[in-house]
Amino acid sequence: MIKPSIPLGLVFSRSGPYEMMAREMEKSALMAVDEVNQSNEFDFTFTPHLRDPGGVVAAYHTACDDLIRSEQVQHIIGCYTSASRKQVIPIVERTERLLWHPARYEGFESSDNVIYVGAAPNHTVVPLVRHMLEHIATDVFCAGSNYVWTWETNRVLREIVTSAGGRIIAERLLELGGTAVDHIVREIIDRKPPVVFNTLVGESSYVFMRALHAASERAGHSIPMLSCSLCEPELKLIGSDASVGCITSSAYFESIENAANRAFVARWKARHGADSSVSVDGQSTYVCVMLLARAIRRAGSVEVSAVRRAAANHRYDSPQGPVWVDPDNNHCFLTPRLARSVSDCKFEIFWEADAPERPDPYLSSLDLASIGARSENSDAVARRSNHLRVVK
Amino acid sequence: MMMKDEREISILRRQLDRLGMSIVEADPGDKQSPLEPVDVIVLDADAIPIKSDRSPALKINVPIIALIGTETPSRLKWLLDLQPASFLIKPLRSAGLYAALVVAFDCAQRRGEEAAHIEKLEERVRSRRVVFGAVLQLMKSHALSEEDAFALIRQTAMRHRTTIEQLSADIIAVGGMPNRNSRSA
Repeated sequence: MIKPSIPLGLVFSRSGPYEMMAREMEKSALMAVDEVNQSNEFDFTFTPHLRDPGGVVAAYHTACDDLIRSEQVQHIIGCYTSASRKQVIPIVERTERLLWHPARYEGFESSDNVIYVGAAPNHTVVPLVRHMLEHIATDVFCAGSNYVWTWETNRVLREIVTSAGGRIIAERLLELGGTAVDHIVREIIDRKPPVVFNTLVGESSYVFMRALHAASERAGHSIPMLSCSLCEPELKLIGSDASVGCITSSAYFESIENAANRAFVARWKARHGADSSVSVDGQSTYVCVMLLARAIRRAGSVEVSAVRRAAANHRYDSPQGPVWVDPDNNHCFLTPRLARSVSDCKFEIFWEADAPERPDPYLSSLDLASIGARSENSDAVARRSNHLRVVK
Repeated sequence: MMMKDEREISILRRQLDRLGMSIVEADPGDKQSPLEPVDVIVLDADAIPIKSDRSPALKINVPIIALIGTETPSRLKWLLDLQPASFLIKPLRSAGLYAALVVAFDCAQRRGEEAAHIEKLEERVRSRRVVFGAVLQLMKSHALSEEDAFALIRQTAMRHRTTIEQLSADIIAVGGMPNRNSRSA
C-alpha cells in the first residue's frame, strides 16, 4: 500500500550570511523526513519542497507565498533570523498556515500561526546570567553583533545584573558579519573585565574568539567568556584552541547523555560523516519535523487548527529530552543546560534544569529578586536585592 | 476590556495572559457602573454609538487603548475626545498589543508628569498677586526699593525653607515680615 504524501515546505538559506547554520538545519529536516517516511509508525509520508531565500529578507515572503500557492503546503519549517520570521508571519496568519520555527530567538512574540520550537529567553539568557552572578562575577563586558538578538539579550542581561548590584562595564557592537574586532579585543585586554558576554554571530564571533584567545595568550591571562548561541560545528570553525572554555547556554548539546540522543547522533554521523557534528539548531529542526509528524498522526489531519490542538501538551522524547508545546503561547517546554567548551570541539555539560521549563517569551514571570549574586549566603542575597530594588 | 466581539476578546485575553496581566471586563455600552480600579482600558471604539453619553468608566483618569475598525472622520473625531493613549487596528493579531501597552503606559506617565508640572506653574502664576502685594508691603514698611524688597523675601524664604509664595502670603497676613525664630512655621 502506498502511503498518502503530505507536502512540507522547508525554507532555509543555503547561501548568504548564515548559510552554515541554515544548511545544518536543512540537513536535519531532510534526515527527519527520511526517518518519518521509512517508519511504520506513520501512515503518511512527507514530500519536502525546498526553497532557498539566499539570506535575503524579502525573499522569504516570496518563498512562502510560492509554497502555499504552488505546492499547497499547510506546514512550513524554516527561518533562522527574526527578520525572516517577521516576513513570514503575516502570510501564514492570513492564509491560516503553520510555521514551525526551529531557532532560539529573543522572545516578545507569540503568533498563533507559529510553533516556536527553539528556546525562549528564559531558557537561554536567564540561566546563563544566573550562573555568571553566582559563580563568576557581577560586572560584565558585552561584545555583540548589532541587531535585535544582541540588543534584547543584552537588555535582559542588564536588567538582571543591575538588580543584583553589578554593572555592564561596556557594550561594544559590530555590524552583522563584520570582522574588525581588533579594537574590541584591545579594549578587553586593557580593561581586564572579569567576564565577557559574547553575542556576536557567525564569522564575527569566530574571528573575535580567535583574536581574543591569541591576545590573552600574549597578555598572559585569560578571561572567561559566555555565549547563548555557540554550537559544535562552530567550535570546529573557530579552531580547537581558541574555542575552549566558553560557557554556553543551550537546550541541546551533542554530548547529552541519553539513549535517544546517542542513537540520534549515531544516525547523524552515519549520514553526514564521522567528523560532522549536530548543532542545537539542527537538532531543533529535527524536533520540528517529529513534533509535526506526531501531531498530524494524532489529529488524523494536516489541517492547521487540528494539528495545533494535537500538538498542544503532547510530549515527545526527543534527543534533547522531553519536549512539548505549551498551548498558552505556542512555544515549547525545553530543558535549559549550561556547558563548557572543551578540547576536541566538544561541550561538557555541567548543569541542567531538573525538568523541562515552561516557555516565557515575554519574561513575564522573571523574578529579579530571586537571581542574586553569590548564592552561598541566601539571606544576604535576599537583603541585597530587596534593598537594590527599593533604590531603583 | 470594554469590548463586544468574542473573537477579538479571545485574542486579547490570550495575549494578556501571556503578559501576566489580569482582566476585568465591562460592557462598553454600560452607562451606570464605573469599573473597579484598573491600570489601562482597552476599548473597542466601534462598540459605542457616536451620539451617546460617555460611559462613566471612560471619564476616569486611566490610559485608554482604542481598537479602531471604522476609520471614518466622525468616528475618529469621537475617539480623539477620549484622548486615547494608544491604539490598535482591527482585526486584532497577537502582535501589536505589547507595543500598544508600552506606549499607553509611557503616555500616561508623561501626561501625569506634565499635568503636575502645569499645576505647579499655574500655582505660581496665581500667587504672583500675593508676591507683588508682599513686595509693596515691605517697600512701605522697610522703605526699600522693589528690587531690595523682593531680594529680602527671597533670602528670608530660603532661610526659613519655605517658598516665596508662602512667605508672601504670611507677610500680607501679619502686615510685615513675620517674626520667625523657630523653623516650625
